[in-house]
Amino acid sequence: MANFVQLVILGLLAGGIYVAVGVGFGLVWGVLNIVNLAHGALVIIGGYITWQLFTALHLDPFLTLPVDAVALFVLGYALQRGVINRIIRAPLLFTFLLTFGLNLVLVNILLLIFGSDFRSVTPAYAGKGFEFGSIVIPYVPLISLGAAILLSAGLAFLLNRTRIGLAINAIAADRDAAQLVGIDLRHAYAVTYGLGAACAGVAGGLIALIQAITPTAGEPYTLQAFVVVILGGLGRVSATVVGGLAFGLVEVFAQSIPGSGSVFANAIAFGLLVLVLVTRPQGLMGRLR
Amino acid sequence: MALRKLALLAVAAVAAFACGTTSAGPTTGSAIILGAPLGLTGSLTKESNLTLQGYNLWLDWINAQGGIVVNGVKHPVTLRYYDDTSSANQSAVLMQKLITEDKANFLLGPYGSAATATDAAIAEQNQIPMVEANGAAQAIFNQGYKYTFGVLSPANKYLQGVVDMAATLNPKPTTIALLSADDNFSLEVANAINDYAPGKGMNVVLFKKYKNGATNLTAEVQAAKAAKPDIVLNSGHLTEAIAINKAAKEQKLNAKIFAYSVGPSTPDFISALGSDANFVYDGSQWTPQVKYTPAFYLSESDYVAAYKAKYPGLGDPDYHVAESTAACLALQRAIENAGSLDPTKVRNALAALDVTVFFGQIKFDPRGINTYKPMVVEQIQNGVHHTVFPATVADAQPMYPTPNWDQR
Repeated sequence: MANFVQLVILGLLAGGIYVAVGVGFGLVWGVLNIVNLAHGALVIIGGYITWQLFTALHLDPFLTLPVDAVALFVLGYALQRGVINRIIRAPLLFTFLLTFGLNLVLVNILLLIFGSDFRSVTPAYAGKGFEFGSIVIPYVPLISLGAAILLSAGLAFLLNRTRIGLAINAIAADRDAAQLVGIDLRHAYAVTYGLGAACAGVAGGLIALIQAITPTAGEPYTLQAFVVVILGGLGRVSATVVGGLAFGLVEVFAQSIPGSGSVFANAIAFGLLVLVLVTRPQGLMGRLR
Repeated sequence: MALRKLALLAVAAVAAFACGTTSAGPTTGSAIILGAPLGLTGSLTKESNLTLQGYNLWLDWINAQGGIVVNGVKHPVTLRYYDDTSSANQSAVLMQKLITEDKANFLLGPYGSAATATDAAIAEQNQIPMVEANGAAQAIFNQGYKYTFGVLSPANKYLQGVVDMAATLNPKPTTIALLSADDNFSLEVANAINDYAPGKGMNVVLFKKYKNGATNLTAEVQAAKAAKPDIVLNSGHLTEAIAINKAAKEQKLNAKIFAYSVGPSTPDFISALGSDANFVYDGSQWTPQVKYTPAFYLSESDYVAAYKAKYPGLGDPDYHVAESTAACLALQRAIENAGSLDPTKVRNALAALDVTVFFGQIKFDPRGINTYKPMVVEQIQNGVHHTVFPATVADAQPMYPTPNWDQR
């Protein structure tokens, strides 16, 4: 029983990372209709910023998260305004190609700057945690989960309560009608992509705490973000939160199947994805349009 | 016009004559071209760069000598390499290109068992010897290939040293939890332990496989914790080793020995984990502390000095660098012994090679892998790598048992 409770806790904590990775990806996909293959690279840029600030200035890694967000927002805004906007109405394949290319460019720029060494952020309190009998709740993943929830809540607030957020929602609903009522599409697109990148940056900061990063370490996260967003349902931040936590739980329980169960963890996660798509194509929490 | 041409010709002739008379000793022959695909971008960038450093160290040395001496003629050496983007398939394509377009005389290996396996097939088809230093999976050598030679100890030896060492410790550990990635190399390492440990009086109480490259290993660590082992062994890769070590501390997985097949020997492991890297063991192909009696090339300490001179600020060379240099040395000695640049003659000389260099003994079994050189066991003590086993080459005693996380 204690083991079961521990696994639930570990699953939810792991889910925090997937939530953080998923929300930005889901926003860009939902509004801009871009499956952003450069998402993983943006995640890792955030990781390197956190690592750099931690090693050079000894800043607490969680305090660097706002820096990640701002820096990645600026980068994301510029990328969308300068590059991606040019093909925003082109067929899906073009956006695939472009973001794939962006991913390669960003990863190789990171390789030039940071080399291929493995970097990780290990603050003094890493590894410590609350203990209740045999059950442990480590601080770092717990704060990470909190940060991911806070990030999602902030994004939801921005999208639903602010002028630019409503404009973004309007574009997601009907691009042409939004333009007719005077929304500056190019600016709103760039803000959307910037917000997606900012979320990716925060996710990267959290990832640098739990694993070692290299310039190529972001690639698996693009795939995981894709699964999380579909699992939860496209178009709502809260749905991605549910999707991320569910993905974390499924992964941990699949990995704890005795023997070589872990090898099939991905297969189980993707099997679940197919099941969700067949039975609830709008996702666990999604709304049918 | 014709006169000017004649004058130029005369000058050239004089110059050629002058050069000819000033160089004494062995004459200079054609350049020997070595080819190697390397993952200079992609997921294996780090290790591939270490491989290239090892090759370059030898290249500088041999060309400073004027080249490889074949029947009294010095042949300078050039290395051609291409970026295989860490893809095994791409590596094989580039290997073929190196043979057909670049006319490589001999081949050096890429980084990793996967790419080495695909490249070995190309070497075999073209009947050109490949000496490799970074593919330890025995699967490569069980294909009956005749042209692939590995200077490193095979995968099954990687963690056996740790078990051998554990058997000498007091109180003797008796239970092992084994966490293994599901790639060929890692499974060979793990399966070998599963077979080997009972003979040393140790039981494998947990043998858990996970997906190669997994980033979240908390469930695996939880399973290991439930098994309450004396020894936690991981057969995987650097990222997984770091993730497991972080999770072990978070989830209070305590054991007398933590050992990882790949990872702790690189400086990155210590820089990523800080003091949490202490007490960790790993099996290593080579350490700067080993003591062998080299027949040629540099001694261990001179090798470390040469590395630090060429690559300042990177610390000691790790074993990926050393084994890559050793591959070049094996090829050099085989070419010298063959007295020829003929691929088949050099292949036969490699098969008959038995030489000790700073890296240890290089001798190939009939499959082409070096089963003669022992692995050593390293431990990180106070942030520094120390060789702790076997005692004949050790520079420190094992710090045993590893204290519980809350007592560090």
